[in-house]
Amino acid sequence: MNSSWGWPAAETMHYVGLALLIGTVGMFDLRMLGLARGIPMSALHKLVPWGVAGYAMNVVIGVMFVTSAPEQYLFNPAFQIKLALMGIAGVNVLFFYRFVFGPVKRAGAEADTPRAAKVAAAISLSCWVGVIVCGRLITYYRPPYHWCFWC
Amino acid sequence: MDYLVWLEETPCSIWMRESGPAFFSALVFHSVAMGFIVGVHVATNLRILGFAPSVPLSLMKRFFPVLWVSLIVVSLSGVLLLAAYPAKALTNPLFFLKLTAIVAALFITRSLANGLMQDPGYDMNRAPTKARMLAALSLLLWAGAVTSGRLLAYTHNMLMASHQY
Repeated sequence: MNSSWGWPAAETMHYVGLALLIGTVGMFDLRMLGLARGIPMSALHKLVPWGVAGYAMNVVIGVMFVTSAPEQYLFNPAFQIKLALMGIAGVNVLFFYRFVFGPVKRAGAEADTPRAAKVAAAISLSCWVGVIVCGRLITYYRPPYHWCFWC
Repeated sequence: MDYLVWLEETPCSIWMRESGPAFFSALVFHSVAMGFIVGVHVATNLRILGFAPSVPLSLMKRFFPVLWVSLIVVSLSGVLLLAAYPAKALTNPLFFLKLTAIVAALFITRSLANGLMQDPGYDMNRAPTKARMLAALSLLLWAGAVTSGRLLAYTHNMLMASHQY
């Protein structure tokens, strides 16, 4: 990571992972919110493993970023908010697959989704967009070394 | 070089550099919208390559409004970012490589949207080899656009033409 190409290469792969997530999970969320009606949601969901792969890759790369330059991240409010949004998105995923995915999977191609599915989709989409915004902010604002909310 | 200096002295360019939120917002909009552009292409091209075969291919076009809106956002924010540091991008060959990759990828999208994706016969059937190759090429071009875009922050020869570092 400290070679001249390591950091830019990791950043590029991090963006590829992001695009996989937006392209599969994000499109699935948009479908649940009512866009692209006619596409069966159970069929579109078959793309989601690509997003999970992108997410897993990004977690690995993200850990590489943080361990290579912890002082840029741990006290950076953008990074703290990013982690919080990832936490909310994670709880939302558990909630979605436990309570909402069943009826969504069985819904017809033209059907309107249950309200709970729309809420979950809106939370997911806002969290991931927020994660991208905060991620972009991390390197834009480099806080002084000992910055934190409580000091 | 003179025209770069002139561009740097336009009010828009100065405002982009000196008002903090302007540059920052353009960056954020640029990265989020580009994520959605590449995202729509990831979904469509994976479908053409044969993944999620039960998705009716012609209906993938219903995601394209996301693409058009994001393309507008990306272009506007891109022009603003270019206005902030014109010499940084315009003296870097990678910038033109990035634009070429995007234009080529969009031509592929247009040809697939007007051909293969127009034909309900391919809704459930395997796409022809040529279309699959175009879909794979499109994904490679987007990866190239993302790579060169990211590397623009690392490979510039100069930041500004008016005072060189």
